[in-house]
Amino acid sequence: MNILPFVVVGITSGSIYALAATGLVLTYKTSGIFNFAHGGVAAATAYAFFELHHHAGLPWPLAAALCVLVFGPLAGLGIELLARGLATATPTAKLVATIGLLLGIEGLAVVLYGSAAKDFPQFLPTATFKVAGVFVGIDQLIVVLVALVGVAGLFAFFRFTRIGVAMQGVVDSSDLLGLTGTNPTAVRRVAWMIGCSFAAVSGLLIAPSIGLDPLLLTLLVVQAYGAAAIGRFSSLPLTYVGGLVVGVGAALATRFTSGYLSLQGLPSSVPFLILFGVLLFRGRLLTEVGSQATRRIVTAARFTAGQRRLGIGAALAIAALIPSVVGTKIPVYTSALAFVVIFASLGLLVRTSGQLSLCHIGFAAVGAAAFAHLAQDHGLPWVLAVVAAGLVAIPVGAMVAIPAIRLSGLYLALASFGFGILLERLGYSRDVMFGINGALTAPRPSIAGGDTAYYYVVLAVLAVCLASMALIERSRLGRLLRALADSPLALSTAGTSVNVTRVLVFCLSAFFAGVGGALIGPVTGSINGTSFPSFASLILVAVLVIAGSGLMRSAVLAAAAFIVVPSYIENATFQEGLPAIFGLAAMLTAVASSGGFGAAGRLARWAQATAWRTRRSPVTERLRGLVPDEMLPTPADGRVAEGVLS
Amino acid sequence: MTTSEGLVVRDLAVRFGGLVAVSGLSFEAPVGRLTGLIGPNGAGKTTTFNACCGLVKPSGGSVHLFGADASHMNPARRARLGMGRTFQRLELYDTLTVAENVRLGREAAISGQRLMGQLYSSPREHRDIERATAHAMELCDIEHLAQSPAGSLSTGQRRLVELARVLAGPYRLLLLDEPSSGLDSSESRRFGTILRRVMAERDIGILLVEHDMALVSSICEYVYVLDFGKPLFQGTMDEVLASEVVVEAYLGSGADLPAADDEEVLAGV
Repeated sequence: MNILPFVVVGITSGSIYALAATGLVLTYKTSGIFNFAHGGVAAATAYAFFELHHHAGLPWPLAAALCVLVFGPLAGLGIELLARGLATATPTAKLVATIGLLLGIEGLAVVLYGSAAKDFPQFLPTATFKVAGVFVGIDQLIVVLVALVGVAGLFAFFRFTRIGVAMQGVVDSSDLLGLTGTNPTAVRRVAWMIGCSFAAVSGLLIAPSIGLDPLLLTLLVVQAYGAAAIGRFSSLPLTYVGGLVVGVGAALATRFTSGYLSLQGLPSSVPFLILFGVLLFRGRLLTEVGSQATRRIVTAARFTAGQRRLGIGAALAIAALIPSVVGTKIPVYTSALAFVVIFASLGLLVRTSGQLSLCHIGFAAVGAAAFAHLAQDHGLPWVLAVVAAGLVAIPVGAMVAIPAIRLSGLYLALASFGFGILLERLGYSRDVMFGINGALTAPRPSIAGGDTAYYYVVLAVLAVCLASMALIERSRLGRLLRALADSPLALSTAGTSVNVTRVLVFCLSAFFAGVGGALIGPVTGSINGTSFPSFASLILVAVLVIAGSGLMRSAVLAAAAFIVVPSYIENATFQEGLPAIFGLAAMLTAVASSGGFGAAGRLARWAQATAWRTRRSPVTERLRGLVPDEMLPTPADGRVAEGVLS
Repeated sequence: MTTSEGLVVRDLAVRFGGLVAVSGLSFEAPVGRLTGLIGPNGAGKTTTFNACCGLVKPSGGSVHLFGADASHMNPARRARLGMGRTFQRLELYDTLTVAENVRLGREAAISGQRLMGQLYSSPREHRDIERATAHAMELCDIEHLAQSPAGSLSTGQRRLVELARVLAGPYRLLLLDEPSSGLDSSESRRFGTILRRVMAERDIGILLVEHDMALVSSICEYVYVLDFGKPLFQGTMDEVLASEVVVEAYLGSGADLPAADDEEVLAGV
């Protein structure tokens, strides 16, 4: 069989990935904000085009022009406002904000258009011609040309225009760029408008081949991550090449794996394999931009020991009474208890140690599958099987921690997200996990066959898990983890091997997530991979962020919001829209946590920071007198000069 | 004074792209001496510090610590050889209490020595930690702040917490990066008093980067002067103050400083 047709398909889709990826790299480079919602912009554009062209009846060139030249830039302006509110946020808050936006857009699309894919006919001419024995569509040719012209134009813009050059200096040292008479905010605004227009184009071009599917559309531009990784998140030409590599790689994988059922997840995993590989093996070459400006808000009020004991006692009493109050809804609350364990384990990573994991549901899935195999197939005693499920998850956590050793912040988040998707697409269907048929039997302990009895068993396991985590938090490791979140720099210059600390916390977190996952299966008696979609890892993070501070308290509130609240909602639309609400709330929380807004005073600061014309900061003015003129940087060497001044 | 006792830097050069931040710099900071490193803004002082503790990769030269070649070690290993540092832009664990911050000064070094050190230590080590923490807090007079989150304190108090944290560590050489910036003159004097007491009590060496000439001249025994990344002068405090090159270098860039930036003005020159 000839592989050329697959190459043609690959180059076409690769060109679209390249467009999306260059837009992503452009905004990341200039703002230091990695826009997880980039795919969301693409999806929203596809829906906007659908409305304009198919519903309102505008001719496609006009509708496309409106989408790319008006809708895209407007989205860019909006995200630029969000990005400015995040200027001083921690790297984690920056990521959570755009993840929240992604969830918001995806959820809104589901509410408005339903989660089922809608048909999106190709609007470009589809006549074909023959080159070297292969049929090539006019539409495919147009896509490739659009991408080539777009990326080349952007490259020229970066190289040869003044504002393009200024973009290169804006990230690390916007104060210093301000000194040279260029307004950094204006530069960023242009970058966001261009970047989102690129996302818009890619959304329009990809929609005909995959249909209007909210999840696929928002995640498909995630393929762009792989392309951006090849471009080391900074080089535009390399990113373009990366897009083609991802596209052709996926097409060829389709060709060579067809007929092998167990490999059917491979083609769609190609971008993530590439992303994971680049992060793993080329991680040293990557430098993270915009990660220096951080500020942690310190919560002054802490509970006294007495208040805390009272709170724990009250929570336990309420938990013990729940079965006699909720009637037939006991299984919901049992699942919620299991998710308290999962949320607490995520909190150990995100809250305590400041590491972001976007594959947490994957740890739980590993635990759930391991438990079912050990308890059912191998007849291990129930409690031992639960503990062993946690232990099995540990090496998986260590596997994610390997990239985390050298990378942190953004790249860790991307690597873990990629890992979660790989696990779902390639791992879940293996026999060691859920198998191709899907459902595994997950038994309850022999002494607790009933719903109420099993509820109390889970409550007991939860109590043990939370007590252990509380002990860890107060121990030396807990101090080291919190110190790692506050200042890894101080910790490493004081002699701690922070890499070891990072691996330890990932292993611990994976262990508890595995235990939590093990508890879920016996609620219904069987378990399969669809209970653990990798996308849910994003929702977990969003829900945890809005659940407030405190490891235990936030875990309980998060589980209540994630499991209990939806079970009481009859309205299907509202239920579908819940992830969107979680996402947007997480976005606002992230902005507020950086002092962006919240209380009235903070609101004023945010208004000042996001004013249409930003004034030069006092810091800039102070620098002017203190720095010899020849030390003042040109935009291109902003990073250099800052290193000297600090 | 033997060269194996403390920090010995030879021909250090650091470049950022095309910009030479430091070149041809040699100096020693032996145990038992309070050594000063001064120079105008942009002279490369902090870059030199970062190169000494492994945060910046030098393009040339060597760094020896207590006789061992540390040029290619990571920051944690250099710290375990006995070098602790503070930061000009304070690097405290803001969400932890003051007591926890200081305690971690000791624990961080222990936890780096072996894997299990991150989890527990022997009763003897425990007593060591308690004693070092209590003593460092007493030295810096911050016992009354022990239970406050470090992020809630004033800059002056935060400087003292950072000093206490590095004093609690098992270090024989301390690198202090502009400890007086953000302090008023009475706080700065108090800082000097603490440093003198530390030098008298312990067998320790201190390398001090400082703008505040009043502080430098009151405590430093030997001073290196940097200008635009190059060594300009070295000698005892009296020799430095009498040196025409030094005064010229300082007044050249110091005369037009805005008066509002008191903390940055070179008081006492």
